[in-house]
Amino acid sequence: MTGPAIEARGLGKIYPRGKAVALSDVNLSIPAGIVFGLIGRNGAGKTTFVRIAATQLMPSSGTLTVLGGDVLRDVGDIRARIAAVPQESRPLYFVTVDELVYLYLRTRGMEAPEARRRTDAVLEELDLAAVRKKQVSRLSGGMRRRAMVAMVLASDAEILFLDEPTTGLDPLARREVWGAIRRAREEHRTVLLTTHYLDEAEALSSRLALLENGRVRLEGTPDEIRGRIRRPFRVTVQGVLGRDEIAAYGDVTDIEGGFLVFAREPDARELALRALSKGARVSMGPVTLEDIFLQVVGRPLDSGEPTGADA
Amino acid sequence: MTVVRHRLRSILTLTYLNGVLPIRSQPLYLINLVASPLSFLFFITIASGGVLFNYAVAGGMLMTMLSIGTSLQTDISHYKQDLKLQDVLIASPVEAWVYVGGMAFSELVYSLPAMGVFAALWVFGGWGSPAGAITLVGVLVLVWAFASALGFTLATFFEDVRETFVFSPLISLGLSVLPPVYYPIGALDPRLQPFAYLSPTTYAADLLHGVVGAPGPSFFGAVIDWVVLIGFTVGLLALAARKARWREP
Repeated sequence: MTGPAIEARGLGKIYPRGKAVALSDVNLSIPAGIVFGLIGRNGAGKTTFVRIAATQLMPSSGTLTVLGGDVLRDVGDIRARIAAVPQESRPLYFVTVDELVYLYLRTRGMEAPEARRRTDAVLEELDLAAVRKKQVSRLSGGMRRRAMVAMVLASDAEILFLDEPTTGLDPLARREVWGAIRRAREEHRTVLLTTHYLDEAEALSSRLALLENGRVRLEGTPDEIRGRIRRPFRVTVQGVLGRDEIAAYGDVTDIEGGFLVFAREPDARELALRALSKGARVSMGPVTLEDIFLQVVGRPLDSGEPTGADA
Repeated sequence: MTVVRHRLRSILTLTYLNGVLPIRSQPLYLINLVASPLSFLFFITIASGGVLFNYAVAGGMLMTMLSIGTSLQTDISHYKQDLKLQDVLIASPVEAWVYVGGMAFSELVYSLPAMGVFAALWVFGGWGSPAGAITLVGVLVLVWAFASALGFTLATFFEDVRETFVFSPLISLGLSVLPPVYYPIGALDPRLQPFAYLSPTTYAADLLHGVVGAPGPSFFGAVIDWVVLIGFTVGLLALAARKARWREP
């Protein structure tokens, strides 16, 4: 396909109950064949956007097209070409890993030989073949999520919606799921991934959008986003120098035992040299997505303060 | 034709998924739908000195079919709220009616032991006949259909699976315990009898009473029973199609 996989124009969502505004005038174009990361805090509107695009939720205003079809008018056509792993979804506890994938494909209407072939292939590729006969209730959390991702990966869907697929998993389990998402990327399928782990978004996504209070605040490749930041370098200074001495170099944030400074490259370099000459402990590098989030939103991702109205 | 085959495949897969696989891990699920109707059969038979045994058999069959609706309600609510299965299936070619069809057929599997017991009682009670079997199957299919439609519609509105614990006993009370399902309508105070006709199960039971050796309806009475029962079923299916929340507003 030539056009974007998903395109939102002036998309808005107000939940009927409580009249909470979850999305407001969202304009977003998601190219086909890439992993697109939707990042933001809890309540920023990520899940609402995904649920509207996956035809699970009605929009309140604006338009949203998926694979060229309108989510209000062309629901049947869209649904035949998408697959989703919703936030906090869990597999039926009484099925085996093999049954989970195979029966999902059969429920989607796939012929038995094709469903069997795809099931075998995906379980092999995601290192789940050894546990294929195990009931999912006996698997670790990471394995369960991986099995859920395997389920949609095995389908013939052109767009995969993965809503916070690694939330609550330990770092090892998260990386297990990452492997599955990378496979989708290698197949050039479109993946809309939501996460509030910025390292995850950066590791997996070709393009990103940052949602805050139901609005898109930033959008682009990770490098483009870094390029749009006023102060694209970070310097940590621990010991010796006081806040007053470094405030002129950039935006200063307190960290344990020192300061984090966001600065332009010459200022960052000068500050680092000056701090080193005074015997301070110094680190310097390009800003991370976490830093960008801090600069754009004004508080860290895990500060726990609610923002948007719902999901 | 391909589309029909796809839909049929989806329904059969869902039936297998929810009707067969859980029994493999917990065979006791099979007695889930037997317990209540058999308990009623036992008590009514004992308390009436055997006089209402045939009513209890008819009532047991109806209650079993109605229980499918309440079980469906619990399963669909659990799958929607706790597992997000409904959202998984919405974002797929599976349509709402295919999902509820598959789930409703799967609940039939759980009703097999109870229906087996009641069918055996019906045959060994000496009431069996080809015409009676047609009436029996027709009535039970309609009750199964409207109970499933009702269960699905309600389940899509629940926000917590615990809400089903409130509605299930109410549905059971309103459709199978209070109306003259387990007893003849003549046993009701005449002032209450008109209220009994508000329940579709009164018409279903009237038809079934005629095939279990109890006094059945007249020809015109049977016509009215069928019309009301079919009308109610079609109405509930239409309501489910229009009002059940597949995609959220």
